[in-house]
Amino acid sequence: MNWIWTVEMTLRFPLAIRSPLPPALASSLHRRLPILSSPSAAALSSSPPASPPLFLRPLVFSASRSDFLDFRRWAESLALAAGPRLTCDGGPDAGLLGRELSWLLEDASASSDSSVDEVRLRVELEELYRLWRERIEKRRPFQYIVGCEHWRDLILVVKEGVLIPRPETEVVVDLVAEVQGFEKGLWADLGTGSGAIAVGIGRMLKEGGRVLATDLSPVALEVARVNVERYELKDKIELRQGSWFEPLQDVEGELMGLVSNPPYIPSTNLSGLQAEVGQHEPKLALDGGDDGMDHLLHLCEGSSLALKSGGFFAFETNGDKQSKFIADLMTTRWRKVFHNVKMVSDFAGIKRFVTGFRR
Amino acid sequence: MAAFLNFAKRSASKPRCFLLPKNPNAFAVDNPLSSAATAAPSFSTSQSHAQFPTRPRFKQLFDGGGIASGTGEIIRFTQFREPRWISSQSTAVSVPTTADGLTVDAIAAKGWPILDESESDWRSHAAAIAQSVQLIKKRLQWRKLIIRLDQLSFVINKPNLWDDPVYAGRVSREHGELFNKIKEVNSYEHELLEHIDLIKLAREENDEELELESMNALVNMRRNAKEKELEALLSGDNDSCSCFIEVQAGAGGTESMDWASMVMNMYKSWAQRRGFAVTVVEEMPGEIAGIKRATIKLDGEYAFGYAKSEVGVHRLVRISPFDSGKRRHTSFAAVAVIPILGDGSTRYEIKESDLRIERFRASGAGGQHVNTTESAVRIVHIPTGISATCQNERSQHSNKNSAMAVLQSRLDQLEMARQAQINAEHTQSLAEISWGNQIRTYVLHPYRMVKDLRTNYEVSDPSSVLDGDLDGFILNFLSASLDKDGNI
Ligand SMILES: C[S@@+](CC[C@H](N)C(=O)[O-])C[C@H]1O[C@@H](n2cnc3c(N)ncnc32)[C@H](O)[C@@H]1O
Repeated sequence: MNWIWTVEMTLRFPLAIRSPLPPALASSLHRRLPILSSPSAAALSSSPPASPPLFLRPLVFSASRSDFLDFRRWAESLALAAGPRLTCDGGPDAGLLGRELSWLLEDASASSDSSVDEVRLRVELEELYRLWRERIEKRRPFQYIVGCEHWRDLILVVKEGVLIPRPETEVVVDLVAEVQGFEKGLWADLGTGSGAIAVGIGRMLKEGGRVLATDLSPVALEVARVNVERYELKDKIELRQGSWFEPLQDVEGELMGLVSNPPYIPSTNLSGLQAEVGQHEPKLALDGGDDGMDHLLHLCEGSSLALKSGGFFAFETNGDKQSKFIADLMTTRWRKVFHNVKMVSDFAGIKRFVTGFRR
Repeated sequence: MAAFLNFAKRSASKPRCFLLPKNPNAFAVDNPLSSAATAAPSFSTSQSHAQFPTRPRFKQLFDGGGIASGTGEIIRFTQFREPRWISSQSTAVSVPTTADGLTVDAIAAKGWPILDESESDWRSHAAAIAQSVQLIKKRLQWRKLIIRLDQLSFVINKPNLWDDPVYAGRVSREHGELFNKIKEVNSYEHELLEHIDLIKLAREENDEELELESMNALVNMRRNAKEKELEALLSGDNDSCSCFIEVQAGAGGTESMDWASMVMNMYKSWAQRRGFAVTVVEEMPGEIAGIKRATIKLDGEYAFGYAKSEVGVHRLVRISPFDSGKRRHTSFAAVAVIPILGDGSTRYEIKESDLRIERFRASGAGGQHVNTTESAVRIVHIPTGISATCQNERSQHSNKNSAMAVLQSRLDQLEMARQAQINAEHTQSLAEISWGNQIRTYVLHPYRMVKDLRTNYEVSDPSSVLDGDLDGFILNFLSASLDKDGNI
């Protein structure tokens, strides 16, 4: 990871905004430097060998049904015993772990009726033991273990180093689908991570429609590329590396729409996150600076230049407080630039998104 | 049960819907009764009126004149009566007979003894087959079927039918299905009479080979008849649909929640045996054991046709394992079954703005803070208060779609209930089932027995029933409800 380069890129932000980087962001980037370069940061140090997700591996192993059932029983008892310990930081309870286990087996084995004495597998049974122990003992997220996340109607490949797309974010794609004429427009997904939003949009586009998906993280872009290719969207989605608007200079003022789920967790909250998130997902995807809004504010400002007149934006935020703050700003200080600004709730009733149009 | 299984396979390969011609005129109505046993049915004005479904289209067609006025009735009746294809095309419909004038009904009435299949006696075979034909007709509600086909034929011959293509499609599909059903029985009757003629002829001419051939054909028909009898049990409107089964625990805490989950497991294993794909859509576990309520989806042909027999309250008597005093408890679980209607016939139109979608069991900050595989969604239909939840899928989006499918079916069911008095068949929703409506009792103590209170069918081995051996109960109920004397 090239840290200095990151900071420089962001500082050399090309659009004419007076303070390209809110001071908080600059300082948080510097603060992050030692954390991220230290080998203890799971996200970067344990970039795992490039093994495909379980469900895509060939069925070349097998186990006897009784060994398979033994594994299941062992795994269930491990989950049951660990449940209470995991829930205290917001981790999964035994019920959820039970469901993860059946999904793990769904991904790792071929379904066969119970009269057949052999179960065909995509990994050795030994490996399943190891993986489940990692799940419970190391709190390695289920999605990294199976190497995928079911998101909308997609199965996205994920791995350490890229954020596991959240259910809330699915709605961003629906918001885009409501924009008149979106099918033929030029879209940008900034901080695309696994490529979730970009692929979701890309699948709905018609002739002429395109998505530019960017990220600063090379691991994220590598994973996004896999997903774009898996859904055969290479000619609709272009991946670009760089910080926020920096890779979009050539399309300044041309975007029909811009969406982003930028890192928005306030830095002070990072240490209290549940282990699956705090110890395994990349800080770069989560840390939003002091009040969590460093990137969001930067994106709002940048949209004014990147979007064409009438262009649409949708940002995901940390919730009510951030959404209100941003919506307020856009309807007061920036009211000459944006209009029709709305807050949209997620299904839990939290004001999760801010949307609007460039005048 | 082998024939039974066969039947499921056979019907799966049958075309499921009637193909609709683009040009309505191309839809030539040829008459399956052209040589059928039944003459043009006669029915009174009021009967034909009562047969009309209250679908909007019919209202449009017939509500023009004053309903209450006597003349209005008569005018509508003439309108309805006149272009009937059956009278224009085949006033001289004759009941099919053998060369010497035997009809299928006459054969059945002879009372020829029915001997074992291996006995080479054509009268015995013919009597058995004729009996089956009568049973099949009864199960199909033959007379009603013919009246309905008659009405549909009138409607699909109207020149403006295709002004409303959705409606036209529905009517043509129903017409096609009925038409095929009737045709199938008729050709079966014909086959029987033909072979009788052939046997007689062969005897006259001393053609042993021909006689043997026809005798074998009758034996085959006789074997086939059992299958057809079963098939006829599942000829209701939505019988061929997939369905949802819902189970809810009655009052009584953990013991009845445990009972509810036993009932649900019984259906899961029954469905697996029958070859239906089972998915758990929604499950509300009890605090200590069992379930408060759960919904499963059965995918497969005729899932609804079979499962609808299970609607009602199931009662358990046993020594409760949850009672430290080891006393005998009685608990209840209510079962509802909802058909999943095919695209063509969805009856309730849901407005997007009438829906409220909620994350089920969400807590905390959400978003980037949380890693969870829990993405259950509940959808509430605000005007009716009906809701549906799905938690079983791996993405929130899919949970939402599944919950939406459940909601759609629940609203369809409501709509069917609204129309039920007139035409559509309807099963009760959980909310409508009264706890007094007990259909079956399962006793584990002091003796062991499962008894259906509707048919009095009983079995002395509750464990096999709870392991999913339900076919006996289901078939008995289906035949009891269709074979009663009022039918035909
Ligand atoms: C919360 S994740 C969202 C990922 C994905 N869009 C999703 O919704 O699942 C934020 C993403 O922003 C990327 N990111 C962080 N800082 C960035 C920057 N300065 N420029 C571009 N992308 C950045 C991270 O690598 C991460 O992939």
